[in-house]
Amino acid sequence: MNPQIRWLIEKSSRKIKWLFIAGLIFNFMYYGYVQIFQRSFFQDRAENQAIKLRLIHAPRGILYDRNGARLVDNIDSYQLVINRDELPRDNQILISFAEEFGLDGDDFIEIVQSYRDKKSGVAPLIIQKNLTEPELALTERLKARFPFLSIENSTRRAYRDNELAGHVLGYIGEVDSRVIKKKGGSLRLGQLIGRVGIEAQWDSYLRGQDGAKRIMVNRSGDEIAILKEEAPIKGRSLVLTLDLGMQKILQESFKGKKGAAVVLDTQDGGVLAMYSSPSINPNLFIDRMSQADVDATFKNVDKPMMNRAIQGIYPPGSTFKLLTAIAGLEKKVITPETVFYCTGSKNFYGRDFRCDEKSGHGPISLTLAIAKSCDIYFYEVGNRLDVDDIYEIGNRWGLTIDTGIDLPNEKTSRIPNREWKAKTNPQDPKWYAGETISVGIGQGQVGLTPIALARFYAALANQGRPVTPHLYYGIKNELTGKIEMKFVQPAPPIAFDPSYWSALNEGLLQTVRSGTAVNIRLSDVDILGKTGTAQVAKFVNRSHYLGQAKSLRDHAWFAGFSSKDRPEIAFAILVENGGFGAENAAPIASKLVKYWMVDRPNLDRSTNLSLSSSDR
Amino acid sequence: MSGMSSPLSTRNIFFPAIFLACLGLMNIYSAGRNTPFDFLWVKQAIFLVIGFGLAFVIRQREAGLAFDWSLLLYTLSILSLILVLLIGKNIGGSTRWFDLGSLGTLQPSEFAKWTTLLLVSHIWGQYQPDRTPKYLAIAVSFIILLPAALVFRQPDLGMAVGFLPIFVLILLIRRLRFRSIVVAMILLSFSGFLGWKYILKPYQKERVISFLNPSKDIQGLGYQVNQSRIAIGNGGLLGHGIGGGTQTQLNFIPVKTTDFVFSVWAEEHGFIGVCVVLTLFGLLITRMLNIGMRAQTLSESYFAIGAACIFALHLFINVGMVIGALPNKGMALPFFTAGGSSTLAFSIVIGLLSRIQHRGVTKS
Repeated sequence: MNPQIRWLIEKSSRKIKWLFIAGLIFNFMYYGYVQIFQRSFFQDRAENQAIKLRLIHAPRGILYDRNGARLVDNIDSYQLVINRDELPRDNQILISFAEEFGLDGDDFIEIVQSYRDKKSGVAPLIIQKNLTEPELALTERLKARFPFLSIENSTRRAYRDNELAGHVLGYIGEVDSRVIKKKGGSLRLGQLIGRVGIEAQWDSYLRGQDGAKRIMVNRSGDEIAILKEEAPIKGRSLVLTLDLGMQKILQESFKGKKGAAVVLDTQDGGVLAMYSSPSINPNLFIDRMSQADVDATFKNVDKPMMNRAIQGIYPPGSTFKLLTAIAGLEKKVITPETVFYCTGSKNFYGRDFRCDEKSGHGPISLTLAIAKSCDIYFYEVGNRLDVDDIYEIGNRWGLTIDTGIDLPNEKTSRIPNREWKAKTNPQDPKWYAGETISVGIGQGQVGLTPIALARFYAALANQGRPVTPHLYYGIKNELTGKIEMKFVQPAPPIAFDPSYWSALNEGLLQTVRSGTAVNIRLSDVDILGKTGTAQVAKFVNRSHYLGQAKSLRDHAWFAGFSSKDRPEIAFAILVENGGFGAENAAPIASKLVKYWMVDRPNLDRSTNLSLSSSDR
Repeated sequence: MSGMSSPLSTRNIFFPAIFLACLGLMNIYSAGRNTPFDFLWVKQAIFLVIGFGLAFVIRQREAGLAFDWSLLLYTLSILSLILVLLIGKNIGGSTRWFDLGSLGTLQPSEFAKWTTLLLVSHIWGQYQPDRTPKYLAIAVSFIILLPAALVFRQPDLGMAVGFLPIFVLILLIRRLRFRSIVVAMILLSFSGFLGWKYILKPYQKERVISFLNPSKDIQGLGYQVNQSRIAIGNGGLLGHGIGGGTQTQLNFIPVKTTDFVFSVWAEEHGFIGVCVVLTLFGLLITRMLNIGMRAQTLSESYFAIGAACIFALHLFINVGMVIGALPNKGMALPFFTAGGSSTLAFSIVIGLLSRIQHRGVTKS
């Protein structure tokens, strides 16, 4: 190679060398800039994508009946979610995912957008709960292309007996922003809380507290290590006062009927059974309802969502006569020995008031008037009383206030008085004496809930000692199985002259032994009660009755307690449009009493939680 | 100064090459941990041993470079590039590999680059630089563009770009004037414009767009470069050590044993580690250029300088790509990217250059 050519080569090579060195220096500087000056920025981002905060669901407490029978299960399930820190900003990716998963793209984007707008902390966007096996497999496949998907362990609430105690147990659902605003605290959007019934009332006990963990994840979102964990606090399990056997009797008895029934433990007010018909199936509320279920539930004229036992206000009819009697005795317008003469009808203030016994009961005592449900007798008592007197005594016996049952949205029973009429009826504010006569037999503007009436009869059974109805029986420690009982403070006794007691008690006893409800008489145990047939519409001529549409028929009532010497249960049973109380409501009471007083003590109680009688 | 060797030039190029190969092997080991590529480092080690073994054999031989065989080798390469388009194995939408069954795959384009360089150096070296026939530049351009076009058909844009440094040899005898570089750049951008309009496939366009704005859409096209930048930045000054880089070990770095293998290095060894590797490449490539300056024949000079340029292009494109300074283009980082064909080719070239150096030294 001649020197001139070599010189040429060297010169060109040197230029390449300098160009190359300039390129190296550029890279030194660029890497130095990224690795030294931008280090903290990139380290944050590295940490953000590798270290995630994740929710740990707290299992919800279980519900048991008083004998230890499970009423609800938490079933392990998987849900498909997108965690907030992994939610792609690009809607196109989300739409293509939605279409692969079989969701409508636009709907899905709408859901995603509302999730983006909300602040829900750690809570992920739930795409689908309770993934089925094929869905799970599909999700696993899709994860490769849509790495933002996560499958979360979760539990699904499953209520064991569907409609059996639907209104009592209630159900859970996602909390909405309105409730969060009201309750605040630790609630986060999308969290499951009790919406109705016991689930709602004792939600803070049952819900527990979700935990959280800081985890290290890989690119696929798989958990590699737990860096820090705040364990969830499990919800506490509740034992309810319900007796499943009795609840089943109510469910059976109300098949094809509308109405409600409440059975109370006369000792402490524990609700042994409560049923409202038509009932609801809480399981239907856990997932998105089908349109058919929505219609059947919310558009049903029979209003299944209403818990008639605590929210239905009905004219009590003759079951109210006991209060009229007590008011008359307390206000000294009658004595236990007072006798009135029943001729089948009587004219008060220019209007004819009739007795169900058209031919009249003749001379009739208080006891017989109760047993035979003589209207004339109680017209006479009502006529001698002022409506404010009845209200006062009713108030004393707890018929104008909430019973205090531990269920949400109880409706308050109503006994009218002058003030009430003036307020609700400003066009005609004056109280007429004739109206008091109607109130005296539980008609007119009297409206009671079945639970209020049951509570009243429990107080009668206790000779004036009232109870507070409740479903909460105790907390069960799921580890040890021990039950921490709750003792209800007994309410102070109602001022009540015990000398009235035997006349009233005898009346209730004779109702079943020889009176209006003799048809339900049991051979081995006494039922004490009062029938009621409450008018829905006013009929001038009762003979038209059978021709009336069913919705206009009378409501059938039976309220009372058992047994005579040692009352254990008190009840109020209402069959809507059931006609005569004795025929349609009283037989249910008979089954209840037979179960509780006769059958149950002979049952094998191997599953009993050993709730010994000492706590009653 | 022209005749006398500077201290750098006298040292052989095996030192930086083997050093880099060791670091690269260590890096592949770390990148492959707990992945399906758990034992990829073993495979890479085997290829390195074979490659450098061959390199030493080549270095010891006294005969001249294989220029006599260059036309044959070039023809074989062209045939294999045509063949691979017909019967090659399609991986990820491109047909680049021969399936050798249990032996793995063979990527003929990795070798075609070098046989093309060999042939061009051979032809170009026949003439005095100032007496090259006019038509020859066109002929040589065709020689370069034919395999490049075949590779582009696979499609493998990055590898096709890898043929371009050979054009430096044409510029070289024009004394590499600044003016010619500018003209080349203008031509390049014009052809780039035409290419964008008529030749590039949508996915290739997406790559360019994604390069221009990597942070715009994290999960989308810029995702890979973004993840790579995060890993590099996360490395900081000192790095997290082998197996300590979270972005590496948690698989956030995409294709971390091949295209983005340098991100793994940068995360685990930090800026210090980056400086070490860049310095070693600096040593290697300047030494390759020095060998070119001192070669015995013009063809040898051309070969060495062309090889240095190809190495430099691989280095800058890969290192610039993983940090987001250049488009996301799959181009192997010599001795770092796991791959049998490229590793063999790179180490054989080292052997060839060592041989040129050896002959130059012994002759002078």
